[in-house]
Amino acid sequence: MNSNRTSILWTTVALVYGVLILFPVFWMATMAFKPTDVMFARPTVFLFQPTLEHFAYVIKEGFHWSLLTSFVLCAASTLLVVLIGTPAAYAFARFEMKAKDDLFLFILATRMAPPVCLVIPFYLIFAKIGLLDSFIGLTIAYMTFNLSFYVWVLRSFCRDLPVELEEAAELEGWSKPQIFRRVVFPLLHNGVIATAVLCFIFAWNEFLFAFMLGGKAVQTLPVSIPKLITTQGVRWGEMAVVGMVALLPVFAVVVFLQRHIVRGLTLGAVKG
Amino acid sequence: MTVTSELAELAPPAAPPRRREGFWYPYLLIAPTMLTLTVVSLVPFVYAIFLSFHKAKYGRVTDFIGFDNYVTLFVDGRFWNAMGIALAFMAIAVPIEFMLGLAGALVLNQNIRGRSALVPFLFMPAMMAPIVVGLLWKIMLAGSWGFISYNLLERFGLIGNTSVFASPNLALYALIFVDIWQWTPFMMLAFFAGLQALPLGPYRAAAVDGANGLQIFFRLTLPMLAPLLAVVGLLRLIDAFKVFDTVFILTGGGPGVSTETPSMLAYKMTFEFWNIGEASAFAIIVWVAFFVFCNVFYQIAKKRLNAF
Repeated sequence: MNSNRTSILWTTVALVYGVLILFPVFWMATMAFKPTDVMFARPTVFLFQPTLEHFAYVIKEGFHWSLLTSFVLCAASTLLVVLIGTPAAYAFARFEMKAKDDLFLFILATRMAPPVCLVIPFYLIFAKIGLLDSFIGLTIAYMTFNLSFYVWVLRSFCRDLPVELEEAAELEGWSKPQIFRRVVFPLLHNGVIATAVLCFIFAWNEFLFAFMLGGKAVQTLPVSIPKLITTQGVRWGEMAVVGMVALLPVFAVVVFLQRHIVRGLTLGAVKG
Repeated sequence: MTVTSELAELAPPAAPPRRREGFWYPYLLIAPTMLTLTVVSLVPFVYAIFLSFHKAKYGRVTDFIGFDNYVTLFVDGRFWNAMGIALAFMAIAVPIEFMLGLAGALVLNQNIRGRSALVPFLFMPAMMAPIVVGLLWKIMLAGSWGFISYNLLERFGLIGNTSVFASPNLALYALIFVDIWQWTPFMMLAFFAGLQALPLGPYRAAAVDGANGLQIFFRLTLPMLAPLLAVVGLLRLIDAFKVFDTVFILTGGGPGVSTETPSMLAYKMTFEFWNIGEASAFAIIVWVAFFVFCNVFYQIAKKRLNAF
């Protein structure tokens, strides 16, 4: 009885906290459908006739191209990271190497460097070799934080794999690339998917690189949001629409990947 | 000490790295990654070092001037102002996130109904694009009509008809508040994951000995959780120093320089003043400081938490 009552108490506390945390997200969602005239009303208007005018404006201005750009860019850079990073993560988890710790620390350092420090030299180098405002340039720039992240986190997944299977395969006379392809990779695919999806989200959320290196040619969703703060005024409803669209994959990830998010955000230090 | 070793026992023992003939195989596997990271990270770093020793304005690199850029930075009040603001973020936002996160984790660790359905949603803020987080709070705290600024701040006479982000005294605290909103859930769930992984044995023993709740928390839970707390706290400190996106959309570093974080200042030096030499020097200083931070993070995580 008593434990039942405390359970209800703590459940209530957690629910109230959850509502407080998520209220701003809900409020932005209502802004996306709010007619402009009630948006600035004082006192605040809670009930209104929903409108699609902000969606119409956003499409008229071509923001669906930003959505497509974001999607293709993030998918391309994530795919590249998976191809390059998976063998490295496996190697760091399984094999003895000279200066392994130092190499690994170098990877961590590339992840931790503030993006603004990187964007300065990137901008000048890209300007010289003609990669500014280009899709390829941005894909390369995204590797700085995602490749290092991927190797770090996937390594922690690799270390969870039982080594016996690989040893058995070796006794069977399989070659090392065969073992990697046919034993390790199939066992690892959950980790690969979880880590890759997190990489996708990081790229999806990224602002500074896209803003400085993408220019007008490669405009991602986060970059298109501040563009709605115009000299004629701030287009709040439209910003809310783009913000909601930008949140959709995040929703999907927190629902489907919840177990792996803690692990990802702590770079593999905490197994969620 | 014994407690730490118990935590270590809990984690699955790392598979012993295998010594085998194919000596070159692992190097072959890591080669593409190392090569890519060298190109995308080491090359820009070296180029930034080169720039920091040169006179470079408006994209034109001219004379070698030694450490002049560094000296100019160190005597510049704006540089120290930015460092002070980063310090405010690290000293105010992170400890609050830490305490709230720990408290929240302890609550979550209670017998809560429908927890597995609730937990992912609590995580939302940490996974959201910082630029969208900024947008959310721009809407909530907007001038005269924002939900919070009108219904809470203005009605109760706390702040008049202006945005908190336009106030030189309050803007920084508003940004710190946004940071707390965004990152407390992350702390909470990381600590919660740690709590869930703690061994039950010591708790049973404590119950037999008749220890009370506070004793159990301070003598048992806290020491066992310490390495995790250190790693997560350090990670947040590192991130708090870098804060850029939310500042960019909410205040742009203003009013004046009252919210100009180091990232914001470096951005302005480069893309507004085009003082690339000085900005590079700034980047190098931050980079080196970060490398030290990373090393500490790595050592703690590896040795104390038995992670990686």
